[in-house]
Amino acid sequence: MDLTYTAAEEEFRRELRSWLRANIPEEWTRPGFWESLDADESFRLRRDWERDKAEAGFAGIAWPTEYGGRGGTPGMKAIYDEEMVRANAPRTANGLGLTFLAPTVMAIGTDAQKKEIIGPMLRNEVIWCQGFSEPGAGSDLAAISTRGVRDGSAASDDFVVNGQKVWTTNAVHGDKIFTLVRTEPGSQRHRGLSMLLIDMHQSGVDARPLKQMSGASEFGEVFFDDARVPATDCLGEIGEGWRTAMLLLSFERGASGIAQYTEFRRQYDEIAAVAKRLGRDRDPVVRAKLARVLTELECLRLHAMHVLTQVEQGRDLGFEASMTKLQWSETYQDLWEVFDDVLGEDATLDAIDGLDLRPLHAQAMWSRSVTIWGGSSQVQRNVTAERVLGLPR
Amino acid sequence: MFFALTDDQREFDATVRGYLAERFDLDAVRAVVEDTDGDGHPASLWKAAGEQGWLAVLVPEEHDGLGLGLVAAQVIARALGAGAAPGPWRGTVLAAEAVRLAGSDDQKGSWLPRFAAGEAVGAITLRGGAPGVLPAVEYGAVADVVVARSGGGLALVEGARATPRGSYDGTTRLADLDAGEGAALPGATAEVVDDLAARATVLVAADLVGVAREAITRTVAYDRERQQFGVPVGSFQAIKHALADLHVGVTMAEHAALYAAHAVDERLPDAPLAVSVAKAKASDVALQATAAMIQYHGGIGYTWEHEAHFFYKRAKRLAGQWGDADAHREKIADLTMP
Repeated sequence: MDLTYTAAEEEFRRELRSWLRANIPEEWTRPGFWESLDADESFRLRRDWERDKAEAGFAGIAWPTEYGGRGGTPGMKAIYDEEMVRANAPRTANGLGLTFLAPTVMAIGTDAQKKEIIGPMLRNEVIWCQGFSEPGAGSDLAAISTRGVRDGSAASDDFVVNGQKVWTTNAVHGDKIFTLVRTEPGSQRHRGLSMLLIDMHQSGVDARPLKQMSGASEFGEVFFDDARVPATDCLGEIGEGWRTAMLLLSFERGASGIAQYTEFRRQYDEIAAVAKRLGRDRDPVVRAKLARVLTELECLRLHAMHVLTQVEQGRDLGFEASMTKLQWSETYQDLWEVFDDVLGEDATLDAIDGLDLRPLHAQAMWSRSVTIWGGSSQVQRNVTAERVLGLPR
Repeated sequence: MFFALTDDQREFDATVRGYLAERFDLDAVRAVVEDTDGDGHPASLWKAAGEQGWLAVLVPEEHDGLGLGLVAAQVIARALGAGAAPGPWRGTVLAAEAVRLAGSDDQKGSWLPRFAAGEAVGAITLRGGAPGVLPAVEYGAVADVVVARSGGGLALVEGARATPRGSYDGTTRLADLDAGEGAALPGATAEVVDDLAARATVLVAADLVGVAREAITRTVAYDRERQQFGVPVGSFQAIKHALADLHVGVTMAEHAALYAAHAVDERLPDAPLAVSVAKAKASDVALQATAAMIQYHGGIGYTWEHEAHFFYKRAKRLAGQWGDADAHREKIADLTMP
């Protein structure tokens, strides 16, 4: 057992900390600061800050240097995720690109794609969206009906795309969207799909915000009306989009669990502080509920160390990612349900005794979404039961 | 970062499990459970425990032990739980820990080699005090010596008069002990008593984790085969989702017991929290998993002939030992809401 990081990893932590300390304005870390900005302004600030961070060498931490990465270890990536949370750093503006698209491009992209996609993404010159879910294809992703028809008649060899995507993060701020499209007419289910890389700045693409139950609009809808994309802008083989999508989703795992623990543990401490301030911290039922959530949070931390160990050993975690998702998302939701128990009959109030509860309520509302996106808890349980335990389909 | 068992620890695990599978399977457990007049302390199993180092695991090498850590000990505890194995392994290992942590040089020299070899059987309790009655001590009737509270510290008591106590968990035998004063363990400060309790709690949590994992594994195997409505019952989502959640819970409890053992051995600052997290989680999942084992076997799971009740009853017993889940949650609240 060795739960420490190497000297080089700890040196990286010191460098990163020092850069973050010097480059995050004090006012950005004040409660309510980001909520006080309008959505466009907030996005622009985050986009530019992240670009500066990349230029300082703190991006693509564990990516090979040939792709503009830092060439670091999985441990450094875990440290990076953790320190970003600790420093209250702005959220990434390009999460879907960085987490999913970039490693997929590195794995199966053409040389031209590697060159054209990864660098501009690191510098936030191109913000990427993910076009998977559709109104008729949620948990049943293979029911995709957005279609792409080859138009070889023009001077260029394009696909013409029609259909609709939904729950698209950063839809209104996106530049390009990696999109699962049915490119073989009449094909069924997992067959005949392609992962097309579509430019969103064209008349055939219309992105609209969706207002969430929290009131915020972090995602939206994307409509394709004769949108055009060159056939060469396909990631993986044409017709093999499902395979590309599965590879892409497999990159969701990794070291981020330690950062999640750090963030959730801070929220637990905030909720415990509210309990104390309201005199609810002596209630044995509230204490037991908080302790139950804390137990699960500690398990999440240990699970993250387990995952990081497996990654460092070069082992494939496979379907274990479903367990990771269940543990963090269900625990996070439970945490915010306990918050309501702490508030008791005043659960919905904006403020109690001068204490502004709205930022906490926003988190509590967000917690309803985490057991849906990225594979609902019900889907994750099916995957765990069938692929891990081997129960029959 | 290496949060996992080493190859040596895995090998130890395989050795214990291999022995139980071949030489002391659930038929042997059943024979012990049904022999209600017996002492619940099968000689063959004890001999193996002595010969294969299961009892020597925490005893320092200078006293003929293996000098391994609590991580290795929790590997053994987990394997014994998975096998629903009877016998005074845990009591003996913990009595040896008490002597190692608080004994005089003479006490160490006298007791530790014998504990390590299986020549002496130990027991431990922090209920009651010596002299006096020590209630429901695990394997008190076969113990050569029991570690008990005495004054502000601990004592080694030999020759206590044992009165067996009936208990529905036939894999763990209990007895009231009428104990004399015994010999004080001179180093038994409050800190040492806490450390000993933490070690006991971790080993019980590990046993529960082994019980819980075995319950899930056996239930999955059964529900893959058992047909109703023309299909395996394990194809129904009502069962799949419950077993998936249990698999996640048991996996988390495995992490928690492993980490708690490491944290106690290394005296990490969060060791008290880690121990309570491990015991709270292991107690909960073992009760849930063994209840599910009965439910998802259907009627057969409720019969005496089926093995589900060994695991269910063992979980019931151990979930309450060294603090139940609620007690540990209160400790967690104390530690995180000062």
